[in-house]
Amino acid sequence: MRKKQTFPRPALVLTLLLGMLAVGLPAAADDDDDEFALSFEDKQAACAACHGEKGDKPLAPDYPVLAGQYADYLANSLKSYGNGQRNHPIMVQQIEILELSDDDIERLAAYFAAQKGLTTISR
Amino acid sequence: MRLLIAALVGTGLTCLAAGNCLAEGNVDAGREKAQTCTGCHAVEGYFNVYPSYRVPKLGGQNAAYVESALKQYRDGGRKHPTMHANAWNLSDADIADIAAYFSSVSQ
Repeated sequence: MRKKQTFPRPALVLTLLLGMLAVGLPAAADDDDDEFALSFEDKQAACAACHGEKGDKPLAPDYPVLAGQYADYLANSLKSYGNGQRNHPIMVQQIEILELSDDDIERLAAYFAAQKGLTTISR
Repeated sequence: MRLLIAALVGTGLTCLAAGNCLAEGNVDAGREKAQTCTGCHAVEGYFNVYPSYRVPKLGGQNAAYVESALKQYRDGGRKHPTMHANAWNLSDADIADIAAYFSSVSQ
């Protein structure tokens, strides 16, 4: 009588699949990162969606005008939503989603600061 | 990408629908109550001590936003020692007046 095969085929197939999966996963994850990476223009568009293209026409009355604000104040405000000093739920969420670099923050702040808008109050 | 933008806009619209109602502040009363504010905010290019950045321009800012920010400095939602010290004893009515005044200053 012929001896039965000792290595069951389903187990062999499973092992091969798991092996392919283990090798394939890191590569797939890299592809995903590339596909969903946001450009600076995407990030600027995200700001504009609520604050207006130039930061001068906020979508809601309780959203701030950004146009003409000091760039260093804007940059500090953006960082405040990421470090717990400010807790506005939408802004905290945006900071998490957009993954702003220091360079992004500087460029966004400079862009909105350069627009015509806010003024200094007088005494 | 379009989906993300759409989601962001959608979030904004939802906020608009559920948005805070604007309390009616009095501009003239606000000008009086904002005397202390002018010590820093009426000096162009004045610097916050630490971390160092210029104190924000407030002329032409949305009243409801100023209200929200001041209440958070008062109640602790925003952590800024100097602003907390200046806002801790403001009533909601004081804040509405001050916000109405800042908002009335033309851009």
